[in-house]
Amino acid sequence: MDNNATMREILDTFASAANDSLGYARSWKERTGQPVIGSFPMHFPSELAHAAGALPVIIQEADEPITDGEAGVFSFYCGYNRSVVDQAMKGRFDFLDAIMFGDHCVQLLGTADVVRWNVPGLNILFNQLISSMNADWAWDESRGAFAQLRRELDELLGTGVTDDALSTSIALFNRSRAQMRRLYALRKAGRISLSARDMQHVIKSSMVMDRADHTVLLERMLLEAEAEPARAAGMPVYLSGHLCQAPSLELLDMIEECGATVVADDLYHGYRFIASDIAESGDPLDALADWYLRRNRKVPCPTRVDTEVSWDEFLVDAVNASGARGIIVLLAKFCEPHMYHLPEIKEAFDRAGISMLMIETEHDSMPIEAFKTRVETFVEISRRRLAVA
Amino acid sequence: MQAAETATTSARPKTSEGTGTASGKKANRLKATKLGSAIVNDYWADLFSAKEAGKKVVWYNGTYIPPFFQAHDLAWVHGEAWSAYLAARHEEQPAQRAGEDRGYDRELCSYARTHIGQALLDKVELAEGRLDPQSERAIAISKLPAPDMLINAYPYCSSGQQWDETIYRLYGRKIPIFNVSIPLLWGGRKDAGYMRGTEWEERSDYVEKQLRAMAAFLSENTGRPYDWDRLSEVMSYIKRAAILRKEAMDLCSVTPAPASFFDWIVSIAHVNFLPGTQRIVDYFEAVKAEIQQRIADGVGAVPNEKYRLFFDGMMNWNKIGWLADKFAAVDATVVAGRYTHMSFWQEPQLVDLANPVRGMGQNYLICPNNHGAPIMIGEIDRICDQHHIDGMVMHVSRTCRGMTNSQFLITESARKHGRQALFFEGDVADESFYKDELLNTRLEAMIEAMDSKRRMMAA
Ligand code: SF4
Ligand code: SF4
Repeated sequence: MDNNATMREILDTFASAANDSLGYARSWKERTGQPVIGSFPMHFPSELAHAAGALPVIIQEADEPITDGEAGVFSFYCGYNRSVVDQAMKGRFDFLDAIMFGDHCVQLLGTADVVRWNVPGLNILFNQLISSMNADWAWDESRGAFAQLRRELDELLGTGVTDDALSTSIALFNRSRAQMRRLYALRKAGRISLSARDMQHVIKSSMVMDRADHTVLLERMLLEAEAEPARAAGMPVYLSGHLCQAPSLELLDMIEECGATVVADDLYHGYRFIASDIAESGDPLDALADWYLRRNRKVPCPTRVDTEVSWDEFLVDAVNASGARGIIVLLAKFCEPHMYHLPEIKEAFDRAGISMLMIETEHDSMPIEAFKTRVETFVEISRRRLAVA
Repeated sequence: MQAAETATTSARPKTSEGTGTASGKKANRLKATKLGSAIVNDYWADLFSAKEAGKKVVWYNGTYIPPFFQAHDLAWVHGEAWSAYLAARHEEQPAQRAGEDRGYDRELCSYARTHIGQALLDKVELAEGRLDPQSERAIAISKLPAPDMLINAYPYCSSGQQWDETIYRLYGRKIPIFNVSIPLLWGGRKDAGYMRGTEWEERSDYVEKQLRAMAAFLSENTGRPYDWDRLSEVMSYIKRAAILRKEAMDLCSVTPAPASFFDWIVSIAHVNFLPGTQRIVDYFEAVKAEIQQRIADGVGAVPNEKYRLFFDGMMNWNKIGWLADKFAAVDATVVAGRYTHMSFWQEPQLVDLANPVRGMGQNYLICPNNHGAPIMIGEIDRICDQHHIDGMVMHVSRTCRGMTNSQFLITESARKHGRQALFFEGDVADESFYKDELLNTRLEAMIEAMDSKRRMMAA
């Protein structure tokens, strides 16, 4: 891409990497001759694989229907797991040099095994991070898991992940996160004209692209974005949930077409992914352990247990701070970690007098028209509440 | 994944519809298992009077950690067992509705939904006068002593940990909670194997360390020092009972099998959450003696055993008697299962009575789900070989992903070993997921396939 690329051209580049993440990674590998390492969401620091000289790619849910995967995972698993199994069974991961697993969600643990079984040649780096964040040993365990992962990367790639290389990667990723947070702040302030679709492309592509390239493009894009006039804003809403899966673009478009403007979110393909930085000085493994435990306090994750945080209270505060007038909760069907929290989230928003709409999404079918009616009603009610207030 | 049950959860078919027992053949259950009910009933009676007896109460979910509580003179409530206790009295459906009313999705672990729905939400209804205090349901609920401490020690399944955290929040975040992390034994390192390798040793250290910290947590919340000698004493009974149980299970590789999976299912409470005393030793001695007698007499758990099956998946607790008779009706003995034969102190020799904590932790680690698929499936195949299994019955327990995760892989391996396999839909505690007709048809098809294989081999 030339140095004079416009914001739209840059967004198109982000969109194409986001929409075909494995295609991007495959051609990156062909171009550079360097390894590509996949990882599962939502807690592995990509910095480790980056410091080892690899392209870290967070494995995404694919758009295609589940076919081969039906023989590896039951239909009552979340779309992300079904899609990952399907992709594995279709051989989509064959070009990866390794994949990093070990998240706590029980469905992901099962998928890790199904992938290992069906892609026998694939190197797997399995390190389960502690999910009980208050334990006295949580920090030691986290550091230990990252140290083990570093050793395994060393062994696999033979490049040696030095402290210096890791600190350099951390600095790059911090810069990238800071840029994306800047974009978030501008959106919240109503100073940019980016849609929810655009925002997702920015974040999702950063999970996939060479981070240095992404950073250069985003820097350039920010300059133009800040100079552009802001678009007319609709009813401000906050998006929550959906965890490992990026909400469908069609859904995001529909929400904004109904007169809402997304001003903030706690999505993994959103603010959750960029909320916390890693210390650039000191021992980098210590810094990773600090980061891992701290980020749950910034944006609580329902796959973790942590007596110090409350997701529902966090959400009420975040919605108020964002200026949103309502919250749309996106529940990926069969996502148990999310479902455990839903009643409390609903009660918290009832208490706070803030409108909440819950939309349950599925991989295979999306009744967009039915959703649209509900979103329109929700926008109308929230507007009326706003007028009364 | 460790569900629990009472010895009284067995619900026999009430109507003839779809039972598959038209032949009139019924499972020949071990008589000794009846003795087990008394121990279970006494446990609940003691629990219901725990507060009057001045005991503090721990609510816990997960693996079989009650010896730690017993040694510290505490009363304990296993969440799954409480759900099963209510289910045995046919009270699970109102509980599940109460959960749904609050917004808990039907796709959530039905144990958790039942526990949260009934034990907590109904308590509120009772307090607010919305539930008749004289109703059977109200009486059962009001008997359960409230928790003074919460402990979660769930191998493998994230749902288990989230369930206790939900209870912690529902109780206003005031009750001290302790989490024991029992990480998956992935088995990816070069030296990995069943109970060996660096991962095994590291994880054993890790769980041991946490169990000692858990004992310190109990001390802290009771103001009493922990009695490690008493733990060894409690474990001496449990270890003896577990050895007897295992020996008795091993005897069942003969034809006809003298006891079935369903006999082992109703004997789980005794090695899962009942107190470690001479009574459980006596119980398994009686079970083993009856099995030995049956072998001497040539008596089987199924009157006319022709096929030998393995049951995979979490038990369908509302259907124990029903399923036992269904298989008996087609001359099939379900000889072994993942849930019964690969858990609940299945490696008792690991427990060193002089210093039992590490071996206890190791038994918690080898909960079958908690192994990566290759090692777990290797163990399943070994047990199937040992018991001369012809076919696999895969219970796809809808809301228990902890158990359904590797089921496609298990069947693939079983087929490679020449065994038939069928899947049937059901659930641990939500009856609405069970499809009797499907099971009947698939069972019939599997029997036919086993027959035709035999005919081919004979030809
Ligand atoms: S956390 Fe939810 S979305 Fe993520 S893998 Fe688990 S069930 Fe799926
Ligand atoms: S889903 Fe299954 S293994 Fe997990 S907590 Fe529920 S019963 Fe236990």
